[in-house]
Amino acid sequence: MRALRTPVGAASAVLLTVLVALALFAPLLWGDRAAAIDTDALQQGPSADHLLGTDSLGRDIFYRVLVATRLTIGFALLATLIGVTTGIVLGAAPAVLPRLAGRLVTSVVNIAVAFPGLLLALFFAVIFGAGTKGAVLAIAFAIAPSFARLTQTLTASVSGRDYIAAARVCGVGRFRLLTRHVLPNIAEPLVINATMAAGSALIALAGLSFLGIGVQAPSYDWGRLLGEGLNRIYVTPAPALGAAVAVVVAGLAFNLFGEAAAAAAGDRQQARPRSLPPRESTVDSGGGDDGVLTVRNLRVAFPGAAGWVTPVRGVSFTVRQGEMIGVVGESGSGKSLTALAVSRLVERPGVVTADRLEFGGKPLLGTSDRELGTSLAMVFQDPMTSFNPTSRVGRQLAEVSEVHHGLSRKAAFERAVDRLKAVRIPSAAKRARQYPHEFSGGMRQRAMIAMGLMGEPRLVIADEPTTALDVTVQREVLRLLARIRAERSAAVLLISHDITVVAQTCDRVLVMYAGRIVEELPIDELFTSARHPYTTALLAAVPDLDTDREAPLAVIPGRPPEPGEIEAGCPFAPRCPLAHERCRQEPELIAVDDGHRVACWRMEAELVDAAVGAPEARQTGETQRASGPSDGGSDE
Amino acid sequence: MSELRFESVSLHYGALRAVDDVSLTVPSGQVVGLVGESGSGKSTLAAAAVGLVPPTGGRVLLDGADVQRLRPRDRRLQMVFQDPYSSLDPRMRIGQSIAEAMPRGTDRKAEVARLLELVNLDPGRATSLPSRLSGGQRQRVALARALAGQPKVIIADEITSALDVSVQGAVLNLVRDLQRQLGLSMLFISHNLAVVRYVSDRIAVMQNGKIVEEGPAEQVLTDPRHPYTRELLDAAPQRHTRLEAS
Repeated sequence: MRALRTPVGAASAVLLTVLVALALFAPLLWGDRAAAIDTDALQQGPSADHLLGTDSLGRDIFYRVLVATRLTIGFALLATLIGVTTGIVLGAAPAVLPRLAGRLVTSVVNIAVAFPGLLLALFFAVIFGAGTKGAVLAIAFAIAPSFARLTQTLTASVSGRDYIAAARVCGVGRFRLLTRHVLPNIAEPLVINATMAAGSALIALAGLSFLGIGVQAPSYDWGRLLGEGLNRIYVTPAPALGAAVAVVVAGLAFNLFGEAAAAAAGDRQQARPRSLPPRESTVDSGGGDDGVLTVRNLRVAFPGAAGWVTPVRGVSFTVRQGEMIGVVGESGSGKSLTALAVSRLVERPGVVTADRLEFGGKPLLGTSDRELGTSLAMVFQDPMTSFNPTSRVGRQLAEVSEVHHGLSRKAAFERAVDRLKAVRIPSAAKRARQYPHEFSGGMRQRAMIAMGLMGEPRLVIADEPTTALDVTVQREVLRLLARIRAERSAAVLLISHDITVVAQTCDRVLVMYAGRIVEELPIDELFTSARHPYTTALLAAVPDLDTDREAPLAVIPGRPPEPGEIEAGCPFAPRCPLAHERCRQEPELIAVDDGHRVACWRMEAELVDAAVGAPEARQTGETQRASGPSDGGSDE
Repeated sequence: MSELRFESVSLHYGALRAVDDVSLTVPSGQVVGLVGESGSGKSTLAAAAVGLVPPTGGRVLLDGADVQRLRPRDRRLQMVFQDPYSSLDPRMRIGQSIAEAMPRGTDRKAEVARLLELVNLDPGRATSLPSRLSGGQRQRVALARALAGQPKVIIADEITSALDVSVQGAVLNLVRDLQRQLGLSMLFISHNLAVVRYVSDRIAVMQNGKIVEEGPAEQVLTDPRHPYTRELLDAAPQRHTRLEAS
């Protein structure tokens, strides 16, 4: 009941409760007073005795409005119930009926949807005759088509899910499929829409009664009271206004409650914390010399339900000119967000902070869009979504140079063709005039890289550029990246979940886990001297074409933590076979060798070992350190 | 004995021949790995095998009986899907999901517990909703559900490609253990040659709707006959070979 937490939701819920209470109790409490005829007080205006005046028989209109709540709300709900049920049955029928009958139902619904609801209601009211029954049925059948359509659409969207296919494979029948798997999964939007439909039904019913084809005397609802009061509205407006206000308030209450429920269901985001995430500073441990890209203590935070969630927690690295760096990690490790932050693509409400974030020696935030647009290229996982489907490929490439280099349309297009040639797209001039959908996946990805080459990129950031591609195409794209690096001495930051891909192409690899770099090492040491337990476990867990088929694969128990559930201490400790007391504190990433950094206490213990020399000395040293943290680097 | 046999199966969508005259046998108690690139028709073939789409030509035979003619409850074929986030009903407790596949007259509660145990999950989890489980755990539930139908043959369609690599190994080990322990026949579909190689006894290579090569795993991998198989093997990423710039 998240809807109740918003002001609109809470207010409309209170209103609805009041309305229901009135519908239940008003006739019992005030039924007599509302029916009492007082011939001494005919057609009076508002007074202390009669708050809204009296009608032509001297009956108190205020109490009549209160008592009419039951009939008005009751019939509105009844009409909604009939309408929604009919709609759901009609909408779900095609899923259960044989194909031909299903199509028939669908076309009937399609035709019915085309008529405006109120027109249908009036039409049915004529057929069913004036009176309560006619009005309720008319409104109900006016609601039904739109509900049938909604149910159909929702059913279709759920029917494509694998769990429906799985149930069918299990031999679950159509009817059970509908009641057990489809309806429960579409119930939420149906309920929300039904609430709003109740509001409309209430207003429509009042309208019919007002016109005289709804509730008939001596019964009365708000619409009837409004109609009766209207005759005298210029003399005493209060009697008409009382009923009108009631209709408006009740209609609003239903609609707003539906809206609030829909908003709560659609946007599960909680209220956002206003303060910025805490900045933490860690030791600058990324090596001194500057490169194309210098990143120090990069943090990316998003507001969550319980404060800030920080998927990237203090990442430091340097990319030098002409280097190809691989970033490996599993989902939730923060590798893609790191790439986005570095290309200034993290969108609000995400917050990026860093002690240093420099591109080409200048702060990234101060770099102009033009400079960034020509010197940093970005390649995404899905080349289909990174191109505009309605514009020709050559045009989209040319745009880069028109905007950033100020080239003429023609010159820019020629450059685009030239770059498409550079990424070995056959008959580039012809291809440049085609649309993205006419390209194969691998060709689109190459065109995306060509777009990056429209400028003079000093850095290409490729985020899972080959994950959506087949292996034969993957190889081409990776080779292309390697060639760009060699020919243009551009640096490449290759983000991948596949350590084998990185091993084949990169010079250095950064292994990320739970928002931090846990190990950085030269690629030729990856299979021989990886030190972090996560890196070694990852290498052992992934089968390749040389894996022993008879032995079970090495496994890492558990799963990587979600960004929101990272706790204090080494995040890999719960899955680590070597975890011990020390790991309750998170280790820093420290250099163990030239170009090799590891964030693991075990490493530090070994370092102490190397420095002190004797294992006995280390043992005493370790007990001392375990009793109290001495370096104080990562106290949180 | 439980053997799945595709006899000249074709599936045409208009002019598109998604599956074109495929004959393939999954012998009893063996794992046949099916590799091929996206669009080669692997998943369509799987859908035809479990009866989700009727083939436009040919027959799928389970122990000699035409799958299309078997009643769903007698069609002892189960499938595990690629995406464990979409293959379990989010509104159903996992125990219910598993029980749904069981034949009538089973002691459902005990059987659910046994199956959860079999896939290395705590039987106490039976009342959890899928949202409480990780991807790897969900895939185990999906495996348990497939086993609940007491299948003669299981079809695994890219079951590890949506999982994190650190979790993939555990699922692959489980698949292999279960297959050996229960003597299951299995059609294991994947685009990842290394994964297929690890679990399969035989390997079939599919390209453009056709099976271009089929044979014992070791032979297909070490001595590929078809140029496409060679290309696939060449392209598969290998740890100790550097990729040169093109």
